[in-house]
Amino acid sequence: MFDKILIANRGEIALRIERACKELGIATVAVHSTADADAMHVRLADESVCIGAAPAKDSYLNIPAIVAACEITGADAVHPGYGFLAENPRFAEILEEHDITFIGPTAEHVSLMGDKILAKETARSLGIPIVPGSGPVGDFVEAKALAREIGYPVLVKAAAGGGGRGMKLALDESQLEAALSTARNEARAAFGDPTVYLEKYLAHPRHIEVQVLADGQGNAIHLGERDCSLQRRHQKLWEEAPSPALNDSERVRIGEVVAEAMRKLGYRGVGTVEFLYEGGEFYFIEMNTRLQVEHTITEMITGLDLVIEQIRTAAGSPLLLRQEDVRFNGHAIECRINAENPHTFRPSPGTITHFHPPGGLGVRVDSGAYAGYTIPPYYDSLIGKLIVHARTRNECLMRLKRALGEFVVDGIETTIPLFSSLISEPDIVDGNYDIHWLETHLTKHGARG
Amino acid sequence: MTQKGGNFDKDVIRELAALLEETGLTEIEVEHDGKRIRVARGVNLTTTLTTTGVPEAGPSENPKPGKRAPGPTEEFIVHPGTVASPMVGTAYRSPEPGAPPFVEIGSKVAAGQTLLIIEAMKTMNQIPSPRAGTVIAILFEDGQPVEYGEPLAVIEQR
Repeated sequence: MFDKILIANRGEIALRIERACKELGIATVAVHSTADADAMHVRLADESVCIGAAPAKDSYLNIPAIVAACEITGADAVHPGYGFLAENPRFAEILEEHDITFIGPTAEHVSLMGDKILAKETARSLGIPIVPGSGPVGDFVEAKALAREIGYPVLVKAAAGGGGRGMKLALDESQLEAALSTARNEARAAFGDPTVYLEKYLAHPRHIEVQVLADGQGNAIHLGERDCSLQRRHQKLWEEAPSPALNDSERVRIGEVVAEAMRKLGYRGVGTVEFLYEGGEFYFIEMNTRLQVEHTITEMITGLDLVIEQIRTAAGSPLLLRQEDVRFNGHAIECRINAENPHTFRPSPGTITHFHPPGGLGVRVDSGAYAGYTIPPYYDSLIGKLIVHARTRNECLMRLKRALGEFVVDGIETTIPLFSSLISEPDIVDGNYDIHWLETHLTKHGARG
Repeated sequence: MTQKGGNFDKDVIRELAALLEETGLTEIEVEHDGKRIRVARGVNLTTTLTTTGVPEAGPSENPKPGKRAPGPTEEFIVHPGTVASPMVGTAYRSPEPGAPPFVEIGSKVAAGQTLLIIEAMKTMNQIPSPRAGTVIAILFEDGQPVEYGEPLAVIEQR
């Protein structure tokens, strides 16, 4: 096991990792920029090192400074958190060259999953379902046969395409011929290449992701799914586990597909395989080779500490947990509290004058904020996460409503009022939403005034 | 002599102080009719570095209380001649073990002259003096780990 871990991150996740280290009896080193000298992750660490100026490129993304900080403090491992250097294979490699353990998968796996095309090919070869599509399409007769095989609606896409040009939707067979010729003409005009292919079109998918835990020694288990469909501009705002859309047999099926893929890959640590889900089918989007912001809800329903498990597997310990040891208990929801205007989402940096986090049974707040804390303008706007756990989804919603009512953050604007309004929306109460729901709702809401 | 100067000096000082704010400089020195006035201030390191990128001037306004033993460092924290560490690493006073140090207290240095080296990621980085002057303090021990922004030496300008 490690003696001292350097946490190459800031904010709530740095604090989260410190907590796990302390429970494992491992000393902690916080690194920080000049703008974060007073941050909570610095105050609560055993040691701290200022590694650079406020801009992230000079500090939290500054690989030489982080390696030097390991050298002067004698840290034998680095936890990258999420964002910053968490999915930078070069960072993992450099640490390895300096005999410092990167708490994450191998640099090869980080690199593999960081390449969208390679990731998709790898997923397919590992038996993970991907969006069905065709190779280059010849004439209409061939297209018709292919489209029937894929299933409508289908998208006709330019092979050389991008930016939505040379892309036409066919809802059924009657629209296919027109879509095919229009896409071809657009493709020829835009890219000088009329080659097109077909892909299944997902109109109203949910975003469902599967959490995995593996030891790099051929053992891997899944920890169920998270539903992160409530997004704005691809930013998740509200996540829940389990998904209101899945039943037990679907959960077991996709979970086992993903766990088996990770066994074949020889993956190590925690990871998340993200899917679009529509009509009872899963379609691979990407794999995140790191701890995720929303890992907390999986912790609440499984009772497992994912960061502790991640550190253990990085230290070379084999996975002792078996799939049958994992029990899903109740329901959990996470709301991301951002320093943003709840209507325009404009960032709202500034000083928090009063801070009162909610409490009580089943309520968890992961945050580095405190009264008097000034949110620096250099980094992302996440100031905390409210996580609520209860026996059922209904109880969880009531508890969330209660907790949001207790939460006080004065001096800046936050997304708390947004969540307070969402919680009484019938679609949210029913769990009836897809990845477009929130943006549609916000547009309607904005139009009403 | 200058203390007795009354209104004239006060006004000049005010003017100079305003000029400091306006320009973001850390010190201004003027000489007129045999009188010399120097106005200096401690600067917030964050501001200095983000605007100029020059690792000069005062260190962080907030040295972590309790984490480092209070020593001679503290009194130089707002000195305008303080040389702050431009990187995290291990600081050495001499080019190699056993060799004489680059500078001693009292050494006269030219701008650009090497004051010390900082080892980071197995590379030796020479830290030059940002100004000409006299070394009036050396704030680190040979082989001491230093953070970004940590005061290393004080060069009194002449």
